[in-house]
Amino acid sequence: MLQHFDPRIDHNRDYGTPASLSENLVTLEIDGVEICVPEGTSVMRAAALADINIPKLCATDNLEAFGSCRLCAVQIDGRRGLPASCTTPAEQGMKVWTQNDKLAKLRRNIMELYISDHPLDCLTCPANGDCELQDMAGAVGLREVRYGFDGENHLDAPKDTSNPYFTFDASKCIVCSRCVRACSEVQGTFALTIDGRGFDSKVAAGQDEDFLDSECVSCGACVQACPTATLMENSVIEMGQPEHSVVTTCAYCGVGCSFKAEMKGDKLVRMVPYKGGEANHGHSCVKGRFAFGYATHKDRIRTPMIRDSIDQPWKEVSWEEAIGFAARRLKEIQSEYGRESIGGITSSRCTNEETYLVQKLIRAAFGNNNTDTCARVCHSPTGYGLKTTLGESAGTQTFDSVMKADCVLVIGANPTDAHPVFGSLLRRRLREGASLIVADPRHIDLLDTPHLGDAMHLPLRPGTNVAMVNALAHVIVSEGLEDTDFIAQRCESDAYAKWRAFIADERHAPEAVEAITGVAAEQVRAAARAYAKAPNAAIYYGLGVTEHSQGSTMVMGIANLALATGNIGRDGVGVNPLRGQNNVQGSCDMGSFPHELPGYQHVSDAVARGRFEAAWGVQIDDEPGLRIPNMFDAAIAGHFRAMYVQGEDIAQSDPNTQHVEEALRSLDCLIVQDIFLNETAKFAHVLLPGSTFLEKNGTFTNAERRINRVRKVMPPIAGKEDWEVTVELSNALGYPMNYSHPSEIMDEIAMLTPSFAGVSYDKLDQYGSLQWPCNAENPVGMPIMHVESFPIGKAHFAVTEFVPTTERANRRFPLLLTTGRILSQYNVGAQTRRTENQVWHNEDILELHPHDAEERGINDGDWLGITSRAGQTVLRARISERMQPGVVYTTFHHPGSGANVITTDNSDWATNCPEYKVTAVQVEKVSQPSEWQKSFEDNNQRQQKFLREAAPAGEGR
Amino acid sequence: MFQTEQEHLIQMINQIALNNISAGDENDVADMVASHVKKFWSRRMKSQLFECVEQGGEELHPAARLAGERLQSETKPLPQ
Ligand code: SF4
Ligand code: SF4
Ligand code: SF4
Ligand code: FES
Repeated sequence: MLQHFDPRIDHNRDYGTPASLSENLVTLEIDGVEICVPEGTSVMRAAALADINIPKLCATDNLEAFGSCRLCAVQIDGRRGLPASCTTPAEQGMKVWTQNDKLAKLRRNIMELYISDHPLDCLTCPANGDCELQDMAGAVGLREVRYGFDGENHLDAPKDTSNPYFTFDASKCIVCSRCVRACSEVQGTFALTIDGRGFDSKVAAGQDEDFLDSECVSCGACVQACPTATLMENSVIEMGQPEHSVVTTCAYCGVGCSFKAEMKGDKLVRMVPYKGGEANHGHSCVKGRFAFGYATHKDRIRTPMIRDSIDQPWKEVSWEEAIGFAARRLKEIQSEYGRESIGGITSSRCTNEETYLVQKLIRAAFGNNNTDTCARVCHSPTGYGLKTTLGESAGTQTFDSVMKADCVLVIGANPTDAHPVFGSLLRRRLREGASLIVADPRHIDLLDTPHLGDAMHLPLRPGTNVAMVNALAHVIVSEGLEDTDFIAQRCESDAYAKWRAFIADERHAPEAVEAITGVAAEQVRAAARAYAKAPNAAIYYGLGVTEHSQGSTMVMGIANLALATGNIGRDGVGVNPLRGQNNVQGSCDMGSFPHELPGYQHVSDAVARGRFEAAWGVQIDDEPGLRIPNMFDAAIAGHFRAMYVQGEDIAQSDPNTQHVEEALRSLDCLIVQDIFLNETAKFAHVLLPGSTFLEKNGTFTNAERRINRVRKVMPPIAGKEDWEVTVELSNALGYPMNYSHPSEIMDEIAMLTPSFAGVSYDKLDQYGSLQWPCNAENPVGMPIMHVESFPIGKAHFAVTEFVPTTERANRRFPLLLTTGRILSQYNVGAQTRRTENQVWHNEDILELHPHDAEERGINDGDWLGITSRAGQTVLRARISERMQPGVVYTTFHHPGSGANVITTDNSDWATNCPEYKVTAVQVEKVSQPSEWQKSFEDNNQRQQKFLREAAPAGEGR
Repeated sequence: MFQTEQEHLIQMINQIALNNISAGDENDVADMVASHVKKFWSRRMKSQLFECVEQGGEELHPAARLAGERLQSETKPLPQ
């Protein structure tokens, strides 16, 4: 997509109406100033671009103009009346006047009417200083209100305080409907309406419910759009207006929204989505917008701690002592059990610079390649599959590209919950008429997008993705829907011929696999035709694709579909992995995997390795190291004995919890660096306080390969940014690291990683963000990949045999459990559980179909024991038609739920990404928690006590 | 209660073989498996595979066993 990098645009200003993307320009004159703007630009925006501010109330530049307040009236030579400038398009040769006596009088009259029904408590109003009504009263020179304040009014309207983050004070509402339009146009939820007419009209949530009980998802778009104090953040009501702001990046999901952190000294008042953010264009979801309270939560770890055994209380020590202790233990273990007996895990939540340093520490200071990242358990198959087929381990598009898609195929993803801001953009495109195909065992919310004509749902059985993608490809090939020119020019011909012969086989026909997938052949054919025949068709996929025993095969199958139909290399098409955590892309790019140096350069590649060896001054092992699951196996077997885990909670997020716990218990030294005492830290010997994204500098890379800056807004609570801790540990181990700022780490990354060669903090400050590859050929990055050629020259069709998972429903375990996420909670929940987001989801629940419930005599709210071959846990039941019979569903945001006690260690054949999405289970009513839950609770109590008892060394004991 | 390290490795390599079963004949499949293991497995995992092959490799898929044999013959001896 064309990047409109326009230095004229100041993203902190409101231009009144959205930008026009037209390439035709028109020139007009406003108050005697000549200005040239794209056709379709409103007079209001044109004026704003010429630095002339026309008064306005109902207009704001992220909403379509509405023309209701009339405050923006202007006079245009040769036209009658006083048209609203927000709804009047600029025309060639137009002469516009924005100020004269007639206009002034009209505006004053309008303001007078508004103010006569508005409380005059400006001095004590939370919006004081940031209120457009107040500003406009000033701008139009309002001096008196002739109607008096005694007439009929709304001054006693009640407040709605149901939402934990914002208040709706109806007495201050001017019924401009900006909130209503924000909810529908920007967020796509349609929770708000204007009820009634004329004087009686008012804003209503849902069916006249309070905000919390309505459809509202608390994205905050209405709060941001409201020109008055009617919709206002509670934090502003409590703390007052912020006095400065810093642009930074959300640390939750892979959308990577840009925010202005609005501050009062070093206190964060609110997070406001930043209009200049290329990933979010000023929108946000409840997590990034409101759920930041965890950063100052009382549970934050504030002091380094050590202990000799996990059955002892913690001992508070200085940084120096903790680092010294950790380094000594690591060295002792290595000298006793060998170089390969230790390793570490980088985090997809930490910055690129921090991730880079941890893998460098492991490769250079530990002297082995035992580094892995939590991307192992989510998107490692994306890396493998896309590298094999397209030559690069990354998604091909920008998020904005979806606005050019005619058909959108969503596989195993739930964007409105897991990638909400992208979900809103996608919904906008669907409202404009793009068609939608969803391949998912569950009915997801996207399927209910209003105004949608032809949503197709392929409710396949968990574990049958590859059979489905092969059937789709079979239809494309057998019905002559291929893009033969694209294939001939852009794809390897031998591999294509082999693939074509494979896929054309009748065993892949939708009719032949109907019994496997459970989806009617005709539906599959219709979906394949819709995808193949659309001028632009785009695929979006998530963990429902990767977290399977054939995750990698499925990713390749998806790439095959896009290649076969020529849907690669331009706007509106492509293969788009939706990344779970904020920096999954970055942690993979930064060389976290045991076989790859930064930039996906294999450790056995002597040339690449040589560059790192020269720069780092050490020899690097040319054999891959251990992956996370193999580290666990090796720990239990006794030859892997120490681990450094930065910002990850493997004890909660990895499958087969009891196996993980056994592995962690087997370690002689576990060093955990985290902001809280997470589940993993309960097995640790060294606990190093981590810093949140608000407390450090760095970069995150989102799902579009976009590198965004993270900027420090407050000092780290325990005194150190995470990268500083890694540097000190390395120095203590005798491998010197010396950086004074993360920008120097980025410079080193740029020097060693071809796809980052052109990245620097200066350039990021200049352009806001950069999409890699960013190098000599693409100095400002590459929004759309593979436009002319693939990094491997020609694309590679991969043969994708369907191999059923060994995890199958049987008589003992007749149901299939699949797992997912919910909007208000994030991953293991360590952050969001420590915020008011708990009001939406304070426990994980098992969803099951009415039929399965009835068979077992289960009612809504019953306690259910869920048993798999790996373990048992107990959750409450919710009966739901979203599920198909035979399939049950839960989330894993709460540690005590033990969702991963039941998931097995089955994994993807190519990458060992766990098969979270398919576990055969039995479900029955029970009256008490499972054995694991009881022992979890015991251990939790004990470890919390050890933390409470933590005392400075030498004191108290 | 859990798989041993070696059991897990056997399961992994058999799974690799099964997923590449359409690569061609047993020879071709073994090539795919060998290059995968070479690229992604750690030194120790490889040596455990070789141990398994030496013990007869009965639990191994035939293509996986062939892959193990090939890798073993081309691998340099372990350092130390
Ligand atoms: S917070 Fe978002 S979803 Fe809720 S009413 Fe406002 S715009 Fe709509
Ligand atoms: S709540 Fe705010 S945005 Fe909505 S109509 Fe009232 S004043 Fe306008
Ligand atoms: S969680 Fe994701 S969608 Fe929500 S604000 Fe953060 S980056 Fe944006
Ligand atoms: S701002 Fe133009 S009519 Fe309200």
